[in-house]
Amino acid sequence: MSEYIRDGVKPFSGLSSLLHIDAKLFIAIIIITIFGLTTIYSSSGGDLSLVIKQFTRVTIGIVTMIFIAQVHPDNLKLFAPILFFFTLALLILVLFFGVGNTADRWLDLYFIRFQPSELMKIFVPLMVAYYYSDKPLPPRTKYIFVTIIIVLTPVLMIIKQPDLGTALLIGMSGAIAILLAGISLKFFIGSTVGGFLLIPVLWMNMRDYQKERVLTFFNPESDPMGSGYHLMQSKIALGSGGFFGKGLFNGTQSKLGFVPEHSTDFIFTAFGEEFGFLGVILLMTLYLFIALRGLSISVKATDNFGRILSGTLSLTIFLYVLVNVGMVIGFLPVVGAPLPFMSYGGTSMVTLFATFGMIMSIKSHQRILRK
Amino acid sequence: MKTKARKDSIRKRRKIEEKYSWDRMNDAEEERKSHSNRAIIATLVVIGIFFTYMVKLYEVQVSSYEYYSTKSDSNRIKIRPVPAARGKIFDRNGKVIAKNISTFDLIVKKELIKNKEEFLEKASRIIKLDSNQKKNIINQFKNRRLKDITLLEDVTMDEYSKISVDKHILPEIELSVKSRRSYTHPYVTAHVLGYIGKVSDSDIESEVVKIQEGMVEIGKLGIERFYQNILAGESGFEKLETDAFGEVIRTLETKEPRRGDDIYLTIDLNLQKFVYKKMKNKEGSVIVMNPNNGEILAFVSAPGYNINLFTKSISNKDYNKLLQDKRKPMINRAINGQYPPASTIKPFIGLIALDEGIINSKKFVSCSGAYKLANHKRPFKCWKKEGHGPADLSYAITQSCDVFFYRVSELIGIDIISENLYKYGFGQKTYIDLYNESIGLIPDRAWKRKKLQQPWYPGETLNVGIGQGYFLSTPIQLTLATASIATAGQTYTPHLFLRSQDSKTGDFINYEAEDNKFITPNVDHDSLDIVHHAMWRVSNERGVGTASRLKKIGNIEIAGKTGTAQVYSQDAEKGQSSKKILQDHALFISYAPFENPEIVVTVIVEHGGGGSSTAAPIARDTIEYYMENKKTVVSNNE
Repeated sequence: MSEYIRDGVKPFSGLSSLLHIDAKLFIAIIIITIFGLTTIYSSSGGDLSLVIKQFTRVTIGIVTMIFIAQVHPDNLKLFAPILFFFTLALLILVLFFGVGNTADRWLDLYFIRFQPSELMKIFVPLMVAYYYSDKPLPPRTKYIFVTIIIVLTPVLMIIKQPDLGTALLIGMSGAIAILLAGISLKFFIGSTVGGFLLIPVLWMNMRDYQKERVLTFFNPESDPMGSGYHLMQSKIALGSGGFFGKGLFNGTQSKLGFVPEHSTDFIFTAFGEEFGFLGVILLMTLYLFIALRGLSISVKATDNFGRILSGTLSLTIFLYVLVNVGMVIGFLPVVGAPLPFMSYGGTSMVTLFATFGMIMSIKSHQRILRK
Repeated sequence: MKTKARKDSIRKRRKIEEKYSWDRMNDAEEERKSHSNRAIIATLVVIGIFFTYMVKLYEVQVSSYEYYSTKSDSNRIKIRPVPAARGKIFDRNGKVIAKNISTFDLIVKKELIKNKEEFLEKASRIIKLDSNQKKNIINQFKNRRLKDITLLEDVTMDEYSKISVDKHILPEIELSVKSRRSYTHPYVTAHVLGYIGKVSDSDIESEVVKIQEGMVEIGKLGIERFYQNILAGESGFEKLETDAFGEVIRTLETKEPRRGDDIYLTIDLNLQKFVYKKMKNKEGSVIVMNPNNGEILAFVSAPGYNINLFTKSISNKDYNKLLQDKRKPMINRAINGQYPPASTIKPFIGLIALDEGIINSKKFVSCSGAYKLANHKRPFKCWKKEGHGPADLSYAITQSCDVFFYRVSELIGIDIISENLYKYGFGQKTYIDLYNESIGLIPDRAWKRKKLQQPWYPGETLNVGIGQGYFLSTPIQLTLATASIATAGQTYTPHLFLRSQDSKTGDFINYEAEDNKFITPNVDHDSLDIVHHAMWRVSNERGVGTASRLKKIGNIEIAGKTGTAQVYSQDAEKGQSSKKILQDHALFISYAPFENPEIVVTVIVEHGGGGSSTAAPIARDTIEYYMENKKTVVSNNE
């Protein structure tokens, strides 16, 4: 295969194949994390401690990624149900013993505080891939129903926390897995209609602040000083960046506190303000590259488990990007979704690297059967 | 049975197939291909969405850059206006009459107030607020130009330390140094200066005053209003960068305000004070003007009122007290008091008659104490019942003979009288540098038809001829008209503005005579001489002139004319009300020295009785004071 030949002439190719790392993916990810660290440093007004904290997480993430990349996909498959049900148990614990400010998302294990819902972002696709690994594809309807249950159980628990954003993302990643496994058009239409029918049920179970966010999305000017304020301000920040950006440390919108959460959920705004459309093109292209690279790995994977897992994971990462950016530019309602590899936050960073550890494992452990 | 067994066997086989994934093993290549197809679809979807996003991002960041950039700047950049210090006002000798003093006000920034009701409740716990004060605070909330709520003005340190004890209830309160207008002689100069107050909507709509960003106070009346644009200066600004919470990060740009220019008035403060004292306990007006240039040396409307009350925001109680005061101190009688000119009009009627050739200096009219008009039952009475006998114009003015003027005005007719009275400035603005000047009234046929839907009766012409009836004039009009006799036809627009001093360069800008808006009456010199002399006789011909009993002022001779306006009052008919209200208005117009007039003095005392007994002595004393202190009065007049 030509790709392997090209890998041969690349520097680090020896090292990357030894570590089961995909150099292209890795470099793309590292550039994004550097963007993230720079933006955090700048928008926090030069707070080095935040950058060091985030850098530590990145390091832990890279170590985790390399570690997982060594694990053979067959072993991943083996651990899939254990990991899934273990995390499900943790979610149940969160429902009873969770801590958090507005919503109980965190589990405090004294030595570490983390969000089990973040782990579900990988374990749901992993579980679906495991479930389909020994089934004929496209799957029969009854198998689809089983996967729907696999997906919906954690999703409903996370909605209860309540963390609608994460729940929807996990639900979507499950849906992507099912779609990648292949379903008939009839079933697709049926489930879409069913999904729409579920919206009123979902609406009635939503908290007031969640409803407000959705309403604001449809009419942001209705409340310019309330929840629409964040959206307006983040758009102003992005737009005032222009083509070339305001320059590093000059993002007045983010630095002076007009954009809330400028290091976490709204980091794209802060980045776009300082680096402009040029920076945004670069960043978005990197995300696109990662997604397409992941898809190409899935196409080359030798079994259904690998195909579904790497395809779902890479599409899910791209979905996160779309949701985060979509919220900033007003395509989607404001949901608490971090921007992959950019947003300040521990669990999400480590989980994301773990995701790519899996994708890289699938890529590097392929049985060379093909021409 | 057979079919059932067959069904069972098919089901069994399927179960086995599923268990060992036979079908999967068979279709491995097929699965790979179908996955590839789905991956291609996913790729296309991903790329499609990617470009949709990029288009939207381009739209936000590149197409709408200008829009969002402006919004971003207006977010972070706040312009804080720095008001300019108001120019001072001096009298003609440089004595300060309006200045600015520093006071301490108790204020709360509006942006710190979240709940108005709660704020009011807390504020009234610290400071005892009556309902009027509360109303005032609510009004301050409504006034969008105000950035702060002023709870208390002019707080002394003692008061503040008492309030500080309860400061925890309302920690947002702060002491702010403010510049406040202060008038050194508030009552005496009330109607000259006017006052300043908070900018209101009507000020913003007004075309005569320039509203500047950050302007809080504005001249409302008098000189403060008329020369607002000179006194106000130019406010500066500070361009500040603030964060989302309104905290100032840094100053980006500063423009220093330009202090307002100082204004010197034509008023002589000592003379003004002297005249005001003369008018103590009286209602009326005294105007002292230099007829040779229109400079007003004293401008009194009595009673005055405390204009310093207005520079703080005046309390409703004080304001209502002023409004309800029966003496009506807030009316500027010098320009808004409209009185029948009474006998003071006689010199002008005489001039008109001479000019029109109706009479000459030798023309006699015999006065028998009353004048009988054709088709009129009641005779028109002269003030002197026994009559004046034969009287020429000079004698008629000296003695103020009514019959002479009944006869003359009957001969001239109302049309020519009214037409000519305008020439002397009656019935129109004098264009003094004060706003809202009243124009009085010259009655004529057209006016009466329009106003009362009645024809003009000949008897009414006779009333106009002696300055009664519908005829109304203001003290400033009388002053201007008198000046035209004093200067033999040369008049100047009366004015209070002497010069201003540029706050930057220190240059003086003097009043420009070109500003004269009044058309000088074109009167025959000989006619003026006759009237001029007659007015000398009024105050100098012992036993004949109506004001000849006035004490002499050294070798200074006064020319003048007395007037006593009959006041018709409904109360008078009922005979119910107090004596004073029934009394006539006393008027006196004069100028001195007779040969070379330097000042014109007009005195009107409401319900003062006779012009010769009440008004003339005031004018005489004023002229005496002027002549004695002339050096200081004129010294600074460069």
